[in-house]
Amino acid sequence: MKGRRIKAGFGRGKALVSTVPLSFLGGVDPATGKVLDPESEAAGESVSGTVLCFPYGKGSTVGSYSMYQLKLNGEGPAAIVNWSAEPIVATGAIMAEIPMVDRVDVALFRKDDDIIVDASEGTVEIVGVEERHVVTNILLRKGKVLLLRRSDSVGSFRGKWAGVSGFIEAHEGAEEAARRELAEEAGLIDAKLLRSAETERFRDGQIVWCVHPFLFEAKSASIKMDWEHQAYEWVAQEDIGAYPTVPGLQKIVCKLLEK
Amino acid sequence: MHLTAQEERVLAGEEGHTRQKAMELVVALGDIYNASRLIPISSAQVSGASVKTIGSAGIKWLEDLAEDAKVSVRASVNPLGLDLRRWRSMGVDEGFHSDQERIVRAYSSMGLEPLYTCTPYLAGNLPRKGQHIAWAESSATVYANSHIGARTNREGGPSALAAAIVGKTAEYGLHLTESRLPKVRIELEEVPEGLAPLAGYLVGKIAGNRIPYLPGLKLTPDQHKSFGAALAATSAVSMYVFSEAGRRAKVDTTRIEECVSLSASELRRSAEDLRGGDDWDLVAVGCPHCSVRELKRMASALKGRKPSGKSDVWFCTSRKAYASCPKEVAALKRFGKVLCDTCMVVAPIEKMYKRTASDSGKAMVYLPTLGKQKASFRPTSVLLEAISR
Repeated sequence: MKGRRIKAGFGRGKALVSTVPLSFLGGVDPATGKVLDPESEAAGESVSGTVLCFPYGKGSTVGSYSMYQLKLNGEGPAAIVNWSAEPIVATGAIMAEIPMVDRVDVALFRKDDDIIVDASEGTVEIVGVEERHVVTNILLRKGKVLLLRRSDSVGSFRGKWAGVSGFIEAHEGAEEAARRELAEEAGLIDAKLLRSAETERFRDGQIVWCVHPFLFEAKSASIKMDWEHQAYEWVAQEDIGAYPTVPGLQKIVCKLLEK
Repeated sequence: MHLTAQEERVLAGEEGHTRQKAMELVVALGDIYNASRLIPISSAQVSGASVKTIGSAGIKWLEDLAEDAKVSVRASVNPLGLDLRRWRSMGVDEGFHSDQERIVRAYSSMGLEPLYTCTPYLAGNLPRKGQHIAWAESSATVYANSHIGARTNREGGPSALAAAIVGKTAEYGLHLTESRLPKVRIELEEVPEGLAPLAGYLVGKIAGNRIPYLPGLKLTPDQHKSFGAALAATSAVSMYVFSEAGRRAKVDTTRIEECVSLSASELRRSAEDLRGGDDWDLVAVGCPHCSVRELKRMASALKGRKPSGKSDVWFCTSRKAYASCPKEVAALKRFGKVLCDTCMVVAPIEKMYKRTASDSGKAMVYLPTLGKQKASFRPTSVLLEAISR
């Protein structure tokens, strides 16, 4: 995964994940490295030697000095991964020389994942977890979006409702893959590309799905399905919740339609 | 962010490890705030100078840095946790003092000026209008942006020091003209005598993270100092825009999204809310540090009066102001301690007192939290009457 370098360096360790923001003043004991904040699921665990993953820092600016103290006591994390770095934790990471990367979705990490952070390059790797790049095309017609029910012959998410989706092949770009899948799975060659959105990532066991969303306008309501689907429906955005969908579909539709 | 070849060299460690760390910090903050480049600064002011605020980790960090770091622009230090000459009479213990000495040594070996004041602009570190600077003390950044017209973000202690070492800061926030435009207009009625700090206190609460515009604001420079300090303490903004009464305003009001009025009666009500108790262990004035003019005014108001002896008294000021008016300082000493280098916010006041009265809006924010005090607000004139008879 590509993030952004905040403090250069290399660190490897088991993931310690807090999905709520952390403060290093009062939230982590500098003497033992234990997380004290009861609101964090990491409470009671030690940050020492871990790759500490949390969305962003909060609290007093003195937190930067506390991070330095933590490091001096030999209880510092091997690396820090944030969704969005703020000045207190960034300052502390640089003072304490703890490699740090941000702009990585910490919801992708599971406790005790083996994580390699190459902060100089801004990259984060979950060892043994593979990234798979797919496109998801949302077709729009008269305010409704197309949902297709995945057949029993496909390799993943059988029976779930999805957009027109498929793997991006090694030789092609995302938009190219999007158009190819539209032709193959829906028989559409004249759909008009309205927009694309940022890649969404979802953790699924040892796989991270990297979904590249595209929004197309369909000219007709009739779809030529191939073997990958067994049904389709045109659905209003607010009704998507009633369908058992592949992970994150609703979020993708929201993102594509909100702009 | 675009870095010059010279900046890249520093970042790569070719000018030593300490300059590299300082550059890393400046660049990381620039990246976080989407700055496109670094800009030279003409002045720095560094906070995080009291043992009480930075603790043993901060001391160690400064000492490590001081092994080979030197500041490359004019830089001064915020107040310490004690008066370096009068710490014994303040009641500070030996251990705190020896830790404080380590901080002082680290800063001076890095070449920072030992001003130890939150009012560097009254003590020689005075930027000019339009200059880019990197100041950390919140009350001083507000004064610099709003009253002097220099440009600074509210730096953290480490980032201000890093900027002082590399001589640059990232160009974001209040360094950019478009970020300096007011977003909320606050019509302030005439401020009753002694309540300018509370006007800042309330304006800060209304402003939140929006720069306020105060049309027709009528304050003296000393009142601006205490108004801005309180505003910074109750808000996330480090600047206000004002026009002076009777003058045609040249203020860009295109970003104003809300208009609010603040009446004198609301100020009086706030004074009532912050009144606290009537018995105090300590009366402390000088947050921000007293100017020479304020020391003179207080000395003259106390002329012919005797100390009431009801509580301890601190007049907090800078060394520069102290040295500028020895006669008035001597007069004030009859009523209490005239302290330099420190103040009631960063001194270990919780070890000595429980109930403190002050004329400062900023102190009303920090005395109850950082200082663990039962705090009472009173206008300066009321405090002067209370300490004398």
